Order: sequence, then structure tokens, then C-alpha cells
Amino acid sequence: MLPLLFVVIPLGAALVIFLLSRVWERAGDLFANLATLSLFVISLTLVGPILRGDTFAYNLGATSPLGIHFTIDGLSLLMLITINLLCFMSSLYSVNYMERYTAKPRYYILLMLMIMGMNVVVLGADLVNLYIGVEIAAIACYALIAFGVEHEYLEASFKYQIMGTVATLCILLGIALIYRTAGTLNIVELYDAVAAAGGMGNPILVFSSVLFLGGFGLKAAYIPFHAWLPDAHSTAPTPVSAILSGVFIKVVGLYCMIKVFFSIIGLTPAFSMVLMVLGAISIIVAVLLALAQWDSKRLLAYSSIEQMGFILLGIGIGTPLGILGALFHLINHATFKSLLFLDAGSVETATGTRDLKELGGLNQRMPVTGVTTAIASFSISGFPPFNGFWSKLIIIIALVQAIGIGYPGFAPAYITFAVIALVGSILTMAVFLKLERHIFFGSLPEKLAKVREVPWLMCAPMIILAAVCIGVGIAFPWVIGNLLDPAVGVLSVFGLGG
Amino acid sequence: MSLSPGILLITIFLPMAAGLLCLLVPDRVRWGRESIAVATTLAVFVIAILIFIAPELRFQTGEIGLGIRYLDLYSYSFSSFLLMFSSLFGLLISLFSIRYMQGRGRLREYYFYLLLTLGATNGAFLSDNLILFLAFWGIVMVTLFLLTTIGSRDASPERVFDAGHKSLMIIGGADMALLLGIGLLWYLSGTFTMSAITPQSGGMATAAFVLIMLGAISKAGAMPLHSWIPNMAEAAPTSVMAFLPGSLDKLLGIYLLSRMVLNFYEFSPGCPMSLLLMIIGAVTIIAAVMMAMVQHDMRKLLSFHAVSQAGYMVLGIGTGTPIGVAGGIFHMLNNSIFKSGLFLSGGSVEHGTGENDLGKLGGLAKAMPITFIACLICALSISGVPPFNGFFSKWMVYQGILEAGASQFWIFLIAAMFGSALTLASFVKLIHSTFLGQKPRELEGVKESGISMTIPLIVLAALCVVFGVFAQLPITQFIAPVVGPVTVSGVWSPTLATVLLLVALAIGLIIYFIGKIRVTREVPMYIGGETLDPVETSVPGTRFYDTIRFMGVFSGLYRRGEEAVFDIYSYGKYVLPVTRVLSVLHNGRLTTYVSWCLWGLIILFLILVGVG
Repeated sequence: MLPLLFVVIPLGAALVIFLLSRVWERAGDLFANLATLSLFVISLTLVGPILRGDTFAYNLGATSPLGIHFTIDGLSLLMLITINLLCFMSSLYSVNYMERYTAKPRYYILLMLMIMGMNVVVLGADLVNLYIGVEIAAIACYALIAFGVEHEYLEASFKYQIMGTVATLCILLGIALIYRTAGTLNIVELYDAVAAAGGMGNPILVFSSVLFLGGFGLKAAYIPFHAWLPDAHSTAPTPVSAILSGVFIKVVGLYCMIKVFFSIIGLTPAFSMVLMVLGAISIIVAVLLALAQWDSKRLLAYSSIEQMGFILLGIGIGTPLGILGALFHLINHATFKSLLFLDAGSVETATGTRDLKELGGLNQRMPVTGVTTAIASFSISGFPPFNGFWSKLIIIIALVQAIGIGYPGFAPAYITFAVIALVGSILTMAVFLKLERHIFFGSLPEKLAKVREVPWLMCAPMIILAAVCIGVGIAFPWVIGNLLDPAVGVLSVFGLGG
Repeated sequence: MSLSPGILLITIFLPMAAGLLCLLVPDRVRWGRESIAVATTLAVFVIAILIFIAPELRFQTGEIGLGIRYLDLYSYSFSSFLLMFSSLFGLLISLFSIRYMQGRGRLREYYFYLLLTLGATNGAFLSDNLILFLAFWGIVMVTLFLLTTIGSRDASPERVFDAGHKSLMIIGGADMALLLGIGLLWYLSGTFTMSAITPQSGGMATAAFVLIMLGAISKAGAMPLHSWIPNMAEAAPTSVMAFLPGSLDKLLGIYLLSRMVLNFYEFSPGCPMSLLLMIIGAVTIIAAVMMAMVQHDMRKLLSFHAVSQAGYMVLGIGTGTPIGVAGGIFHMLNNSIFKSGLFLSGGSVEHGTGENDLGKLGGLAKAMPITFIACLICALSISGVPPFNGFFSKWMVYQGILEAGASQFWIFLIAAMFGSALTLASFVKLIHSTFLGQKPRELEGVKESGISMTIPLIVLAALCVVFGVFAQLPITQFIAPVVGPVTVSGVWSPTLATVLLLVALAIGLIIYFIGKIRVTREVPMYIGGETLDPVETSVPGTRFYDTIRFMGVFSGLYRRGEEAVFDIYSYGKYVLPVTRVLSVLHNGRLTTYVSWCLWGLIILFLILVGVG
């Protein structure tokens, strides 16, 4: 029954908010935060059992593909903890931030549905459940992006809806083709069934894998499937942007793709190379685009695409170390990128603008936002002792290690990708120094002289996330041992040398 | 007496913890942060001496995979002597900062970063694991940036940030190279444990060497990765300049380079990598000193010398001969002493006068005698004048070049010696325009800085003298255990030479005074029927070397230098057109975006079908 809690709690909260908000304005603030906090706490309590080797399963109704099948293993637990931590931070931040919009209860209801969708994705033990989760989350997300109902919100949402529909089409067709060929949709059974159907020798499976690459690629927003992201992530309400960039694209995009390419099809040299090339392209192109931005949230959105590239690169290596680096970078990016979005939101709340050219010198006026942004910027730039340093380091070391233990003949490629990743890191530094320079350093413009720090309820999540960035950076062996190793164990059996 | 290995932790984490404490001390506690900083650094210095005296110590925690340990600290001859000096510099700088930084904003952060830097530097010296080393090394880079952002009194916030930006981009970029180099080194040797790595050879090892070298010279500030230092000099507090680019960064960078040459790479005199290092060293010496000669700002002049001196270290280590490497390491030590001494003298002058422009200073010798003498001693040391320490280490570097074998190496020798002469020339300018000549009226009433600022100056100047006169002492105690026994050829006995020099000086003084009694008389200047004010007719030192600046061959080079053609950082702007092209491609039209997706799908399909 335990896995079901991750679905029932947000759904229940949505219902309660819907009912109570008519009589009590602040019901949303209370119940949304209660729900996300309890989800986070529950996910933390599972760390011990998972480490001992337990798995949790829940089945309802008929066998696959008809019933509901949930499991929690090391990988899904890692994702659950990340999702629910960030959603808790965002809902905390929303209490003050969302005052500017009307219909706050509706916002919370949509947020709860999105959280539920993401939880379903990581719990789903068969492809249909996975797909349903992706769709619930995506539909809630369309509405949340359009929440401001002015033309730029609607345009961003519209673009995402069109491209999201293309993605859905690809994914659904891919699933259908797999079902036709392998005869099952249960992820555990699929690995053998796909192998029996000829694996990559079967042109239908090749076609469906391309559809997955495109469909989940659109959701994960790597290049060239990225174009919806900058609009959507920069116009959405800030707490939603934080979730979108922090976990949403990873859960409905990358996680699903990892599931498909590791647990179902199994990593082949061709896929390994394709993933690494896509990752490398995303790193370089997106970081250059980020460098050109003058809107703080757009800059962050492009930087998210770049960081997805790092994760993809690590996954593509396929060695246990590469997967470790990728998953570590995934959770690290979740923390520092949502922190950066929350910071950008605070600056916007305090000053009314996101235009870097109009800002400056805010360190004096907004110390909490300034310090937390600096910490997040150092993390994303990969400076020690912050968390981003370790995950980038592991990815580079994994690339070097792969020269020896990777696919034969790939050695020059591994070196090239390592160099690309490092050049990308240097440019990332430049991007975030630009952000710091124009918002927090430099001289304070006259009209911002009276700016005040945001209320404490908005500061609290920023401080917590900054503490996580430092804490994970310093206690990284603990994080690797307790959270990441079980998750890597789930995947590495399907990876290179598994 | 035997020490527990756990004592190594204190040198790293005590300063860090004290730094955090400084953050918490409220502003109303007078001298609270200052006392914490001084007391902590003093304690760390004492402990570092104990560690230096004690035999080798090793502190390890359990392994966490790939042979990496969370903490793997190892003190042996090299690391413990560096530890001692980094802690000494920490102590002197904290002492100096009490008055120098007084009354500025962000003091809380200043002491936090200062102590964090010290802890991380000690950590880098003690780590016996490349990954741990890299982490501590990186923390020093971050604190360097943060300390820069505190800013000097006269720089605008934009300028301060841009200087920090530049240092972070250059050092950070080089750190990425270092990271890859460490990865390759690990791939070749199979271990991250520094004391277990055997010298490597071959193509990949050479690549690793170059990559790690980039990291090392960016920190030490040798060309072509030097350009952050001059910019930072104008923007950062002078005490920060003395602490990081002046001393700790040099120690760190040269430490890494020496480890590479001594332990990690099959390095022999005359090998291509040796030649590379020697060229970098020689070019750095000459080019930077030429720039130093024409500077007007005291701090900028000193910063170009910080670059130029790094050239000697790289050159010495690049020879690959024991005496050359020993000379390079000894010069690193000496340079940290006299260069921080010079920066602190500059800081003391700035504190007393509020001025850094050489054109507006002058005649301060009488008003600031201690600063003057300390600055003079350090200036003579850096110029390689016997009997001070700089002479001795440069001498060893020269000898290393000669022993390196190839006959065409005379060119490096000439570069090094010529560089020394030019250094002296530029310090004549500095000393003249700051302490000698006529005192401008604005500087009447300038007084010597307080005792907390003069003590560090006295200590550093005294070290310059002691390490010069008794040069055997540091060489046998610090350097020989690292590179093996060093024999200095020639009949140079520092102590004897000093006695002879002192006798010569005494005789010279006697002759001077006898002469003065007889001939000199001072009269008012009287030209064309008017009595001239001596202040108005003073000879400023700032234009001493303008002849060189406008000489045919050099004028072009200087112009390019000012246009930052030799500054690797300035090439960053060429990224911008690329970003613009990419931005234009994102035209906001949905059809464009959807067509990208379709093309992406088609290409992926073709590739995967083709491969399958």
C-alpha cells in the first residue's frame, strides 16, 4: 500500500483544497504544504528499507497492461525524494509569491495534480502507467504555465502544448509498437520480451526507440527538441518554473528515457553514442544561448538545457560510474537550479523586473537572495566544495575511465566529450558570473535604492536549498552511499559491462 | 615528542571553524573578529612548526570507492615546510589587516574568507589524494574571487567585479584543464594517491603534464595565464594581493608544478616539456618586467613583478636539474616573502597617505622609516642583489640552466639575468618615487603606520636578510629534503660575502661622510631672479623609463600589451557573435521549432537504422 500514498496524498490534498477554499481562503497554503511535506518525509523514511534491499510493490486490478502497478526501487526512491523535496520548497515559496495572482486555490490544485503525475511516472511499473503519469503532469503543467492568462503566458503555454502533443504522439506510438512486438508492457518482463523479439535487429523496435528518443527528448528538452522550454520556464509562475526546471523535465523526460533505454531495450554502442552526442550538443549550444540572454529566468532556462546535456552525457557513457555521475548531477541540478529560479523570482518580486540591464548592486539590499544565489551559482559552475563540483568531476572521471573500459573504438570520442564538457563548464561559469554581475554586484541603480528583502517565508526555502547545496557537497560520500548507490545498482545491470 | 596524526586536521579545520565564528561575531564587539583571526593563525602557525619538526604524519579516513578517501592527509618534508610558511603568511596578514582594513565594510566576510583561504591552502598542501587536492585548490580559487569582491578603496564596484570575474574565468578555466589532467594521470597510474604515483611517460602522460601545468601556472601567474593579477591589483585590497597572488597562490602553483616534475612525470633536463617550461619561464620574466617598468600605479607595478618572478620559478623547475628545481622552489619561498613584504609596504604607504599613484607620492623615507627600510630590503631582494635571499635563489636558477646541458640554453640565462637588471631598474623607480625625492605638500603630516602593520614588515624584511645571509639554513632544512642534496658550485659563501659587503658599505659610508663635510652646502634654488620651491622642481620617478616605452621596437609591443593582445581573457569576446547567431535562429515561430523536432527525428532514425 505504501507506494499508493504518493498518489493518494496529493490527490486528496487537491480535493480538500477544492472543497475548503470556498469557505477558507488560506486552506490551500496549509494543505498543499502539509501534503508536500508529508510526501517528502515519507520518501525519506524509505531510505533505510531500500538500502537493506527491500522493494515495495502495489498492484491493483488486472495484469499488465490493464491494472495499476507501482514499485519503489532505489532509482524511483531517489527520484521521489528529489521531486517531493523540491515540491515542498516550491509550495512553501508559493504562499507569499502567489499572492500576486488571483485564484490561488486553483493554483494549488493544479500543483498537486502535477506532483501526483510526476510521482506516478517514477512509481509506474509498466509503460502505460508511466505514460499516464507523464500526461497528467503535462496537462497540469500546461495550465500552470498559462496561469498568468496574459498573452505571453498563453503563447508559451500554447507552444508547449503543441510540442507536447507531438511528444505524446511519439511516445504513444512507440508504446503501441513495443506492445505489438513484445506482447507485454510490464517493464520487468519487457527486457526479455524485447530481446526475444530481436532487439535492435528488429526494425520496428528501432523505429519505436527513435520515437522514444524524440518523444521523451521533447519532454526532457535537449537540443534539437528544446525550443519550447525557454518560453515555458521563463513565463510560468516562479515556483512552477523551479519545479519545471528542477524536476519536471527530468522526471517526465530523462527518467522515462533512462527506463526505456536501460531497463527495456538495454544500452547498445549505437545508443550510447547517440545519447552522448545529444548531450554534448546540448551542452555547447545551450550554454552559448544562455550567455546571450538578458532575462534572468530565460538565462536560467537555457542553462537547464545545458545541464540536461551533462546528465545525458553521463547516462550515455553507460558505465556504473557514468550513471552515478549522471544521477548525482540530476539531483544536484534539481537543487541548485530550483534555488536559482526562486532567487530570480525573489528579485522579480522585490524589483518588479527580470531584465538584467535594469538591475545591479542588490547584494546590499537583499542579502539572503544574494548569498543563496552566489551559492547556487558556484554550485552550478562546479566550484568546490559545492555539490555541482562532485557530480561534474564524476562525469569527467567516468569519461576518462571509459577510455579503458568503455566500448572499443570509442576512446577518441570519450576524450572529445570530456573536453566539450569542460569547455561547457567554463562557459557556464561565464553565464553565472554575468548573472551575478548584473543583479547582485556592480552599483545599485537609483530607483532600486529602497528595495527590500522578500518575506521570510520566501527566504526559508532558498536558505534550505542553499544549505542542501553545501551539505551535499560536503557530505557527498554519504549521499552516494545511501541514495545514489542503490539507484545506480538498478540501472547498471543493463548498462555497459552489466 | 610524538604527535597524533589528527593534528593535521587542526591546521585545516581550525581556521575554517574560526572563519565561521567570525561571521557570527556581531559588529559591536570591538576587535572581536581581529582577535579571533590573529589568535587562530598564531595557533595554526605554532602547530605547523610542530608538524614540521615531527616525522612524517598520515591521517586517513575510510575508502569511498575508486581509491578515493574522504580525507587523506600526509605531511612530509615538502608539504610540512609549505604548511609552515602558509600559516606564517596567514598570521602576518591577519596582523596587518587589523589596521589596514579597519573601518571598511564587509569585514565579517573578509576575515571569514581569509581564514577559509588559509585552511583550504593547508588542506591542499597536506592532501595526498589528487581529488581532495583539487577540491581544496578550488576553494582557494573561490575565496580569491570573494576576497577580490570586497574591493579596494578607490575602485568602482563594476571594476572590482570585473577583476574578480577575470581571475575566476582564467583560474577556473585552467582548473578544468587541471581536472582533465588529473583524470588522465589517474588513468595512467591507476591511483589517485599522490605518494603512490610513479613517474609516467608517453603521449598521454605528456598531455596530462601540459593540462596540469596549465592549472599550476594559472595559479602561480606565469604567462600566458597571468593577466588576472594586474587587474586584480587595482581592484582588491592590498592585503589580499599580498596574501594570495603574492604568497599563497605562488606556493600552491609551484608546489603542484614541482610535484609534477619531481614525482608524476618522467622529466629530464632537455626533454620537450623541460624546454616548454623554460620558454614559458623566460618569456614571463622579460615580458612582465618590461610591463612593470612603465606602470604608474604602485600596486600594478608590484603585480607585474609578481608575474615576472613566477617566471624564475618556472624556469628553474623547468631545467629539470636538481639545483635548478631547488632554486625554483627556493625562489618560490623567497618570492612569497619579499613579494608579500612589498605589497604590505605598499599597503602601509596607502594606509598612511591614501594614495597609490606613484606620481603623487614621494619623500616618505623620513616620515615612514620602517616601511621605507622594509620596502628597500624587499626591493633589493627581488632584484637579486646580494646578500639578500633573492640573489641566492636566482643564482641557483642560473646554475640550473647551465647544468641543464644544451649549449643554446645561454639564451635563457641571458633572459634571466637581464630580467634581474630590469627588476632593479623598476624598483629604483618605485623607491625613488615613493620614498625619495621631494615630498608633495599634500603628504605633510603623514606618519608611520602603527605597530600591527610594521611588525609584519619587519618580520618579512628580516626573513629576506636571514635567508640571504644564512642561505644554507633554508636550503638544508627545507629544500634538500625535497629534491635531494644540493651542491652550489662556485666560491659563494653567503656569510663571508655578507661580511665583505658590510665592510665595503662601511668604508663607502665613511668616504661619503668625509666628502660631505668638505664640499656640500645647501642653498635655495635661484633661477632667473626667482627663488624656486623645491617641491615644484622635483623629479618624479614615474617617467623614468618612458624612453624605453617610446623606443621603436618596444612601442608597438607596449601598445599591443595595452590593447590586451597578450591577454588570453580578452579573446572571450569572440564567443559573443556565435551566441548572437544562435539567438537569431530562435525566432519564436512554432513552425520552426516543430520542424527542428521532425528533422531531429529523421536524422536519429537514419543514424540508428544505418548503424543497426
